[in-house]
Amino acid sequence: MQNVLSILFCLSLFYLSVTSRVKAYVTILRFQGLLLTVLLVFPFIHHFSIFALILPATLFIVKVIVIPRYINKIILDLDIKRVIEPTIQPFTFLLLVIFSMVVVFVASNILSKSADIETIPFASGFTAIVVGIFVIIFRKKLIIHVAGFLVLENGIFLFGTAVASELPMMIELGTLLDIFVVVFLMGIAINKISSTLAGFDVTVLGRLKD
Amino acid sequence: MDLLFYALTIQIFSIIAIAILQDNRKASIAAHLLLITGLILGFAVSFSTLVFSNLSSQSFSAFGIPNELFRFDALGLFFLCIVQLVAIPTTIYSYSYLKHYLDEGKSIRSNLVFYAILLISTQMVVIANHAVLFLVCWEMMSTSAYLGMVFEKEKREVQKGAFYYLVISHVVVFLLYIFFFLLHHQTNSWLFSDFHISPESGNLFIALYILSLIAFGMKAGFMPFHFWLPRAHPIAPTVFSAFLSGIIIKSGIYGILRTFQFLNPTPEWLGWLVLVVSMISAIFGVWYALAQHDIKKLLAYHSVENIGIIGIGIGIGFIGSAYQSIPIQMLGFGGALLHTLNHAIFKSLLFIGSGVIYKNLGTRNIELMGGIVHRGKYFVMLFLIGSIAISGIPPFNGFISEFIIYNGFFTTAKELKNYYPLLMLISAVGLAFVGGLAVACFTKINSIMFLGSERKEVKHFHVSIYEYLSLGIFALLCVVIGFYPQPFIGIVNKVLNHGFVPGNSASELLKINWFFISLIFMTVLSGVLLFYFWKSIVQKKYGSRVSAAWGCGYGGLTPRMQYTASSYADELNEISQTVLVYHKKMKVPEGVFPIEGAFESHSDDLVDSKILLPIFRNISSLICRINFLSYTDIRYYIAFILIIISIYSLIAFLWN
Repeated sequence: MQNVLSILFCLSLFYLSVTSRVKAYVTILRFQGLLLTVLLVFPFIHHFSIFALILPATLFIVKVIVIPRYINKIILDLDIKRVIEPTIQPFTFLLLVIFSMVVVFVASNILSKSADIETIPFASGFTAIVVGIFVIIFRKKLIIHVAGFLVLENGIFLFGTAVASELPMMIELGTLLDIFVVVFLMGIAINKISSTLAGFDVTVLGRLKD
Repeated sequence: MDLLFYALTIQIFSIIAIAILQDNRKASIAAHLLLITGLILGFAVSFSTLVFSNLSSQSFSAFGIPNELFRFDALGLFFLCIVQLVAIPTTIYSYSYLKHYLDEGKSIRSNLVFYAILLISTQMVVIANHAVLFLVCWEMMSTSAYLGMVFEKEKREVQKGAFYYLVISHVVVFLLYIFFFLLHHQTNSWLFSDFHISPESGNLFIALYILSLIAFGMKAGFMPFHFWLPRAHPIAPTVFSAFLSGIIIKSGIYGILRTFQFLNPTPEWLGWLVLVVSMISAIFGVWYALAQHDIKKLLAYHSVENIGIIGIGIGIGFIGSAYQSIPIQMLGFGGALLHTLNHAIFKSLLFIGSGVIYKNLGTRNIELMGGIVHRGKYFVMLFLIGSIAISGIPPFNGFISEFIIYNGFFTTAKELKNYYPLLMLISAVGLAFVGGLAVACFTKINSIMFLGSERKEVKHFHVSIYEYLSLGIFALLCVVIGFYPQPFIGIVNKVLNHGFVPGNSASELLKINWFFISLIFMTVLSGVLLFYFWKSIVQKKYGSRVSAAWGCGYGGLTPRMQYTASSYADELNEISQTVLVYHKKMKVPEGVFPIEGAFESHSDDLVDSKILLPIFRNISSLICRINFLSYTDIRYYIAFILIIISIYSLIAFLWN
């Protein structure tokens, strides 16, 4: 089951790399949040406890409800253009993603022989981290940067479930809080600079320095 | 010991009080009251523990803190006492200082919060037993001191001076990390109480010592690393510069003494190294001080001098440790410990005094001051007590600790025959020279600042009751330690006997006839008082005549014709022109009716101008060469990070 969910997660990354709508990014973030929640709830079906549900519940509220809504609100409030502004062709981007995914999967397959990890969730998580960074590198829009950052964080989460024995719950909750704060700060920053800078491009951010 | 943690908690409440209370004045009053209550309680606990208990095991159960996290051994408690003792009057002064800013309508919240954090973390540093806790508290101490320092952050010199301090603290912490990791690696423990390495471990032992001496020596301000002191002290708010000079540089001394506890006995050459470095710090510290015009900068150089004197004591102690001689160690370390206490007291007094002068006159330049004695007689008297004490003149406390160090020289000469008598004689002469220069320096500032007539018009000179209170406490301590040193010597002796110098009750420190010294001081004091009475009686009988200072019988004097600080110090400065980097620019008035003349003197720091700045200039020119990699777009940087991570992971992958 975990493997199926991880592969679904990977497929969402492919969609991410070819789409050119800002809305689609938000949908993917929701979808990924949902996947992660299910992934976390799944082990507890047999031995249920309220305490174990804290993390999935928080995850669901933050990733599926609050953050996507907030991003949508920013898009509406600031009237951001609905298309992303890529710096390379979507097809090239897709090739890049596929290439890195292959490398990561092969590498983690080799790793799994020596270390105690579950290959598919581990590799999917790692791929998401790489794709998140790619999104940040190859997209201009600031709001897409936030989305890329969130994809990266989702990757870390999946990665965490693959090596669950290493990462205690407190740390995962900590990262969750971190992301929450970062997204809000980014939102506030975008709101603030919208009055001075017309576009929400990172290319013009350089002008903000003193 | 639980009470001590409650005392710390009361101090932490002061931060909460600042956060809760809306009104600035109320917040300031509440925070200061809480801080002082906490400090007095803490001081009472730590002092009584240090004096009355047998110090073998001090357990505590407050707030469920694990018992091994803190340690209340003699050395830690001694420094804790110093911190709290000095912090009480400084906090009283802080209230008056911040009130001045409140009247101007400036927000003082941040400054007060950083001061509270600084106090709490400094107290934690000296009692921490876990290396990581120590490093965390150390970092908090350095950072909060920096943040407090940049109170007037809009000034360029403040940014620059504080930056020096910030860089130095980072280097220190970096070295300390290596130091503690090496210790942990060797002993497999993080606890100070478990750290012990004997000289048999060879190079590691020496490496650890060198690391510790550089790191803690930087913090303390020994000579090649002293450059941050004269830059950071003048620009900091007076409360912070007093605390910085009184306490924080002492944390370096604390570290060196702790290192000695971890790593002993020391090799002989190390003792000599410390002694020579300290001697250089002491002599050139005071010499540089003599050339300064800025009162706070001058006091900062005096800190270098006094740290040097403390270091001389430590150096003698190290030599004693190399020869396993208990009397030498007792006198060396004893002198160092007592001087640490003394310097903390009189340096805080002098800094707070300089703060009061700055508040009233609006300048730190000695050349623009004068005639303060006519405005605030008692203030000048208190400042004078501090000046006499720092110069090491009897009957105040500076003399007592220097006397112990002199005794250390002579005992070393006596115990270790060979070539030692000659070397110790040279060292004693060096220390005497330092004392002489200190006297010259303080006669300079006292006479120029306080005597004569006003060079710059003083509108009003007001010293508030809080300022008097805080200066008074310091001055009282100077007098008490000077006239009645026995109990303080007893405390130092106890500290040394507990886990420092292997147990010996018939101490060399107590053998000095302190009663006799007190008696002589009393006699001298009564003589002075008698003379004063005689003088006032005679004055009443015959009357007195007041004329302009430095007048020498000439009538038409203006304040500009007075003797200046530069001219007073000129002779001494010219002797060592190259080391002091002492420049003079002079335009001598010529002809029968001279039109104009000018004089300007200026002294740079040798380490600063000849070593440090060229190094940094080279580094920055090197960095300029890789400037082509800098972009304004964040995406390039992320790409760089990705590339580097890929390379690293590739290496890690192929490694197995």
